[in-house]
Amino acid sequence: MEPGETRERLIESILSGERSRADGIIDEWALAAGYQKTIADILEPVLTEIGRMWAEERISFAAGYLAGKVIEGTLAKAIQCQEVIPRSKGPVVIGNVEDDFQSLGRKFVVIFLLAAGWEVIDLGNDVPASTFVDTAVQVGSKVIGVSAMMLSTAENIRAIREEIDKRALSGRIQLAVGGAIFKLHPELASLFGGDGTAAHAVDASSLFEKLWERASQNGHIG
Amino acid sequence: MVTSVERTVAALTGKCHDRPPYTLTLSLYGARLIDCHPAIYYREPDSYIGGQRAVMELCSPDVLFTPFSLPLEAEMFGSELIFFRNAPPTVHKYCASSIEEFLRKKLPDTKSHPNWLYFEKVVSSLASEYKNAVPICAILAAPVDLPAILLGLERWMDALICDSRAVKDILETTCRHFTGFANDLLSHGASFIAVPMVFSNPSFLFKKQIDEVVLPILSHAFSQIKGPIVVHHGGSPINGLLSSYLTLPNVAAFALDSRDSISQARDIVGPGRLLMGNLSGLSLAKAKEEDILGEVDAILEDRKDDPSFLFATSHADVPWDTRPDLIRLIAQRIRREPCP
Repeated sequence: MEPGETRERLIESILSGERSRADGIIDEWALAAGYQKTIADILEPVLTEIGRMWAEERISFAAGYLAGKVIEGTLAKAIQCQEVIPRSKGPVVIGNVEDDFQSLGRKFVVIFLLAAGWEVIDLGNDVPASTFVDTAVQVGSKVIGVSAMMLSTAENIRAIREEIDKRALSGRIQLAVGGAIFKLHPELASLFGGDGTAAHAVDASSLFEKLWERASQNGHIG
Repeated sequence: MVTSVERTVAALTGKCHDRPPYTLTLSLYGARLIDCHPAIYYREPDSYIGGQRAVMELCSPDVLFTPFSLPLEAEMFGSELIFFRNAPPTVHKYCASSIEEFLRKKLPDTKSHPNWLYFEKVVSSLASEYKNAVPICAILAAPVDLPAILLGLERWMDALICDSRAVKDILETTCRHFTGFANDLLSHGASFIAVPMVFSNPSFLFKKQIDEVVLPILSHAFSQIKGPIVVHHGGSPINGLLSSYLTLPNVAAFALDSRDSISQARDIVGPGRLLMGNLSGLSLAKAKEEDILGEVDAILEDRKDDPSFLFATSHADVPWDTRPDLIRLIAQRIRREPCP
């Protein structure tokens, strides 16, 4: 079967909510080509298409969720088969802002970033502002990604902005913000000190590339 | 003098009174008005009632709300909450770490949980204090949405996509809770029930699951409710779903998202069905006063010939840091409008 036809079948199965069919399509292709090539030739183009449809609000959250699950499963199988997925981008630091415990969005950002070749340090839920910045400095990350679900917790992002500014790292560490509240009100991203936001987890990689590039133009950390 | 109940009933029946009825979702805001920490406000009925009394003094809405905090229901099942200084609580730890654990464990009797008794006391005290002059709206989690705050969104989504048997068992539990809780609050003085709906929206879930699982279970649950139900948009536009929701029993009104077109909604549901909305409540703390008042005027102008309209804020609670004088100004603006 041609890659184009396989990609179409995969999209169709994701959009109709058929998880086992989607996994079967990936496994069948990986059997012949290996997982690394399957991710590059099948999964990445499918994700781009799903991301486009998601941005245009033509597909449901569930379809985006299922796409994330399919990637997560594929990455796990690649590791099981001892295939090394190259990590050519990053590292980036990710976490939920202090007092925020809604982990699903963050987990999906991590999955989509891993699939796009980023090295990701996931700090989990309820992360203090100083921990974000300490970790970014320690690993040499130029982008911090912070997730918040509600208006009340999103306000805590200001503390990360202040921490970055206080340590004279403004511009050299970029702050990506995301979560339900920013999808509804993207204008809040800059109000709370963010340097950029993406409406969907699928778009996280392109946002991080843009912010990484911008940070690089502003010099190195440390 | 026309009471809020008379005004709201008139809107429900498509008749007009002195002016359009209105409400703003000021459940949380009452805590700010009486300077009460939400950890107390959402625990002590007297604090909540004091807050709603302050809301009445501020802007005299035509509908008062019970606490808009669905996590309080999750806590009845054993979930753990975290409280904030200026927001309702959220779930910190789910009541079960897996679907299997949830189905295996003996669930607590939610009727005897302090939160159930807290809601009962809030409803009966509000109803008694306002002597049936102001309708009381109780806000409850839909039986298809509650599992997401009992188990986590990820586990519930996994079940909906891959485990129809577990879904059936979980929904039996949440339906039993929903019908029991709703009818109990109605019997204690709630005038109607509002149900935010997330998992019945195709922007959220696959159409197949909505048609085969969600709508049948909602239909079954709603048919047992002994009072009117308001279907709330749950954070997403719902105009595309109104025709499906029209088939659900006991649904008296629809609360629209701020991105829905009210006139389009009216075309879909026909005359006579109450529509509520659709000023963005979330924007009140951040947007400019003139922009907000302009939006209020635009909504009133759009609905000037619609007797079955109740002006309301869409989304969740009006944010804590909204200025009280802005809320007062919005109320004054609506009160000046004559009834169509």
